[in-house]
Amino acid sequence: MATTATIPLGLSTFVLASPFSDADLGLFGKVRSFGYEQVEVCIEDPGTLTAPAVAKAAAEEGLSVLVCGAFGPDRDVSNGDEERRRGGIDYLRHCVDFAAAVGSTLVSGPMYAPTGQARLLDPPARSAQWARATESLAKVAEYARAAKVRLAVEPLNRFETDLVNTVEQGVRLCTDIGADNVGLLLDTFHMNIEEKSLPAAITAAGPRVFHFQASENDRGTPGSGHVAWPEVIAALRGIDYPGSIVVESFLPTVKEIARAVSLWRPVAASMDALAADSVRFLRPLLQGGPSSGGRS
Amino acid sequence: MTAEGRFSYSYNSLVYAGEDIAVSVDRVARFGYDAIEIVGEPEQIDAKRVAKLTQDAGIGVSSICSIYTPERDLIHPDPDARKAAIQYVKDLVDFAATMECPTVVVHPTANMKIKALADPAQEWRWAIDSIRTAGEYAAPRGVSFSLECWNRFESYFLNRLEQARRLWAETGLTNGGVQGDTFHMNVEESSLADAYRDCAGVLQHVHFADSDRTAPGGAHIDFVPIVDALVEIGYDKYISFELLPALADPFSGGRHEEFFDRYTERAIRVIRAVEDLVRARRTLGGKG
Repeated sequence: MATTATIPLGLSTFVLASPFSDADLGLFGKVRSFGYEQVEVCIEDPGTLTAPAVAKAAAEEGLSVLVCGAFGPDRDVSNGDEERRRGGIDYLRHCVDFAAAVGSTLVSGPMYAPTGQARLLDPPARSAQWARATESLAKVAEYARAAKVRLAVEPLNRFETDLVNTVEQGVRLCTDIGADNVGLLLDTFHMNIEEKSLPAAITAAGPRVFHFQASENDRGTPGSGHVAWPEVIAALRGIDYPGSIVVESFLPTVKEIARAVSLWRPVAASMDALAADSVRFLRPLLQGGPSSGGRS
Repeated sequence: MTAEGRFSYSYNSLVYAGEDIAVSVDRVARFGYDAIEIVGEPEQIDAKRVAKLTQDAGIGVSSICSIYTPERDLIHPDPDARKAAIQYVKDLVDFAATMECPTVVVHPTANMKIKALADPAQEWRWAIDSIRTAGEYAAPRGVSFSLECWNRFESYFLNRLEQARRLWAETGLTNGGVQGDTFHMNVEESSLADAYRDCAGVLQHVHFADSDRTAPGGAHIDFVPIVDALVEIGYDKYISFELLPALADPFSGGRHEEFFDRYTERAIRVIRAVEDLVRARRTLGGKG
């Protein structure tokens, strides 16, 4: 009889402190006590966050680490200006080095363009930007391959980017980059706005789903809104998703991508409550055991 | 108008941008709508002509889709700017009255504004004052306001219907209420049906769109429990379809063909079928 593996749970540092720095590493104890086995560290300010300190703090709490990026206008791999493009590529290379140093197999995030850039480009300008993004990310992918790190590219909703909104566009971007260590990070918050069906989108992306983030439709605690969690998890099971699920929301102090996040009201009693309640809700759905589906 | 005890249906002509209003009125009437929603630009749209066109086509004007820009900001810290915004809403009241349109959509601040220009408590008081001033002008002219919530990316001010109800109550106005748009609600509300249910008695206007802002039926919003909630609270006004392309600024683009005949036809067909199902079930006492 087929069995399903338990899907591990992680927590994003955006829930803990922003910008997250070495001074905040004491919070990893809380992550463990909430019941997570993983922490996703977002490198907002590379000047204040160092890999050895992160690795040490995570090891002390028995947490595995994932790395994600935050992409402001100075980190734009799709920019027409070579200097700006280099800023984006250098930042991503730093993220890859950081990932390798902390034992993260992934660098994730909307790495194709600055978050919050949502203009309307005419088709030629749009394809030129797309081509610049794929070319830059192909270089980063090659660099990452040498470090045994994979890239998980995240589609964002229409208000946060004009380049990659849907899973279908994300798959096309991966194909155009043409490297097998490039896949997708899917986030239920964005999918709830852009996808016709969340389970169908997950199924369509299949093995390209490298990483997954859980957020309620209003960025609140999973289970407190209307995202169809059992169907979403079933779709992940259906593609034999091998990764973890990271709970993500944002503190009002978020800076690098503040405009994109646009959170004007508290979406939970507190961020600690959100972190703890998310485990309580998601854990039972992610437990392994005999498969209930028809797969064998 | 449709038979008693049924919703009335309207289509927002906002997405028909660039088209002669006569063509828009004809399309909406042809697909069986009861009314059309008209864009709130009194200097660009001839209200008398629209009144004649709709009358000839046998439909009404359901509502004015107001366009709130930085120059039309009812909570701007500059009193002259607020005055200009109030005047814009008063102009919309006259515009609406000319077309015998019952409802003007109100949002206290500019679309896409996501940063307060003053203290939040002060902005809240300005919102009450500005809306009350314009609302007192509207009442004797037979026009009501619907206070609409937008998602977090389009406004920082009113995101959830609970906030709109609170603001509306504080204006003390009786000509109108709040407005829920399913596209925005899909981002902001825990349950779309419950959010409507909580608006019993103060729901003035409804915008429907699917989760990706296309015509209902194409994406993942389940309209059955939503329509059931509207029937349950005795909502008897318009359901207007506000469908827009997938752009942060939907008004900057060119013509998006599917939003004309295709979605206009599909929106009313899908939701009428849902309404039939819900009303039949209620008559039969079943839950489906």
